[in-house]
Amino acid sequence: MLEARNLRKSFGSLVATNDVSLQFGKEEGEMVFIVGPNGAGKTTLINLLTGHLDPDEGSVIVHEPDGAGGTREQDITGLEPRERVDRGLVRSFQIVQVFEEMSVRENVRIAVLANQDLQGSVFSHHDRHEGVEREVDELLVEFALEDDAETPAEELPHGDRKLLDVAMSFGLDPSYLLLDEPTSGVGTREKERVIETVVEVSDNQDVTTVTIEHDMDIVSQYADRLIALHQGAVYAEGDPSLLETDPDLRRVLLGVEDE
Amino acid sequence: MSLASVLSSLPLVVERDEGLRLRLLSGLELDRRQTGLLIVGIVLLFAMPDLAAILGFSFRTVSKGLMLGMAALGLNLLLRHTQLVSFGHALFFGAGAYAVAVLANYGGVTSSLVLLIGALLFGTTIAVFVGFLVAGHREIYFALLTLAFGQLGFAIVLGSQFFNFDDGLSVRIEGARPTLAVDSLLGAELSTAAYRILLYYLTIVILLALLLFTWRLANSPFGKTLDAIGQNDLRAEFLGVPVQRYIWTVFILSGAYGAIGGGLFALLELHVRPQPTLHVLVSGEILLMTLVGGFSTLLGPIIGGVIVVYILDLARFQTEFHNALAGILLVAVVIFFPRGIMGSSDDIRAGAVQVREDPSVLGVWVRELGARVRGGLRNAVVATKHLLFGAR
Repeated sequence: MLEARNLRKSFGSLVATNDVSLQFGKEEGEMVFIVGPNGAGKTTLINLLTGHLDPDEGSVIVHEPDGAGGTREQDITGLEPRERVDRGLVRSFQIVQVFEEMSVRENVRIAVLANQDLQGSVFSHHDRHEGVEREVDELLVEFALEDDAETPAEELPHGDRKLLDVAMSFGLDPSYLLLDEPTSGVGTREKERVIETVVEVSDNQDVTTVTIEHDMDIVSQYADRLIALHQGAVYAEGDPSLLETDPDLRRVLLGVEDE
Repeated sequence: MSLASVLSSLPLVVERDEGLRLRLLSGLELDRRQTGLLIVGIVLLFAMPDLAAILGFSFRTVSKGLMLGMAALGLNLLLRHTQLVSFGHALFFGAGAYAVAVLANYGGVTSSLVLLIGALLFGTTIAVFVGFLVAGHREIYFALLTLAFGQLGFAIVLGSQFFNFDDGLSVRIEGARPTLAVDSLLGAELSTAAYRILLYYLTIVILLALLLFTWRLANSPFGKTLDAIGQNDLRAEFLGVPVQRYIWTVFILSGAYGAIGGGLFALLELHVRPQPTLHVLVSGEILLMTLVGGFSTLLGPIIGGVIVVYILDLARFQTEFHNALAGILLVAVVIFFPRGIMGSSDDIRAGAVQVREDPSVLGVWVRELGARVRGGLRNAVVATKHLLFGAR
């Protein structure tokens, strides 16, 4: 389980994250969606969890099985992003972050090589590690990218670029996957395909996902749990049906303030 | 028994669907044409001293080009993979050269092999320190820091009695050259010409080993991860790659290449001065070599090294403006061959075919070129006018 404990982060006078305490993955493989208007601190929260930003106060905790049936707390607040990756904490960015000049296959391969601790190997051939190639092939099939395997990332259509980005994250064999708007900029018809693929793969692999999403139809369709942020703090938390039953929530999400 | 079956029984030859392949390293397999080119290349390299005598070009300049080419090969590790531009690679070339001079002068070391190992160790040590300090920086900051360290090295040597200021240090001990391993075998002292030829052979053996290693590195998981860092270091970090440590590592390697080149250079010149080894113009020339040869290719920096050194050496006797020539060359390469000679070889070949089929295409190119130059000039005039009189 991944836990945010009293996280606080300010940029000057702007409080981006205001005493946020949350737990993710209490039930293994749950799908959490984070919603909230622009400037609610959604991305900042993911940045704090993954080590892209350091919190002013509070801590990020990973609960790992201690081998005796219980769990052990591990404070990862001070760790580098890549050290958190070693603990299964993986993220994607709102803007597609791939290796543009490499082919789709090479992109995924970089992730799998890193995951299998082969990225520092000098005296082997990059595409001759059988275990790696097998996993790369599996990921390409899972994300329906096998036909574009040799296409340079920069030439892919936007939806496929998003999928490639997520496929690379899955190549790291994550326990917690934090996705910052995996459908942003994707056309309406493509959206379905992208989110459908992400949901399917994370279900298969029992990955706990934390997804920032603006499309409420997607949220109500796929979320196991919903977290609404407003002005840096947790505004509401619970079942996605809150979207229907809580009239205030809808108003907050649309950014309509009471005058 | 057929020729093919004899060939395929050779240890380095493997059979593939496409035919027989020469297998140099795991993953490095050459087809018939490539094998032919390799053999021709190696024969040419080894025959260079004789070719130089017959054709009347300076074989010493070629040696020098290969040595600076080694430094360029090292610099290209950073440029090609991590996409970092170093403006201070003369520092490692100079460190290698000065290590040889200091060991010979103050340590009385005469063995070339020991001197070269000294050059490698000293240059690499410098790279460890400089690399540690620059690895956290990118783009212009990285370039400026390497430039600053290069200038620092130059200034220290230029101002220090120990390195004999501007006059530099001789590699000879009481008039005697360093010894190559074959000296004792032959029993007699070699003539200077023979020494240079043997040193040249040593250079190409080291060069071939470096090229093989560079190929191995470029095609290894490590090399591809360096590519990834160059293309998107943020993503690499979030894939769990220790970005800074990897840049440091490749910086050290790249410095080591320069140190070996510099050490060989000291053995060739037998006198080490700051200007031709540590000066910022040397750093610029090393960078120019990779661009001229083609930074996206394996052989580019070496070919660029020989060409640039040869052109600059020729120009030294022809004109007082030989330093400007490097600049002109750079402008020409960037405009006409942005991917360098090796990188553009396919374009050049395609162009040659086009001309053979339809020579009138040359006229079209000349017109296009004219239009491009006119357009560039017009822009320059307009920009100058705006700068001087303000835009309206």
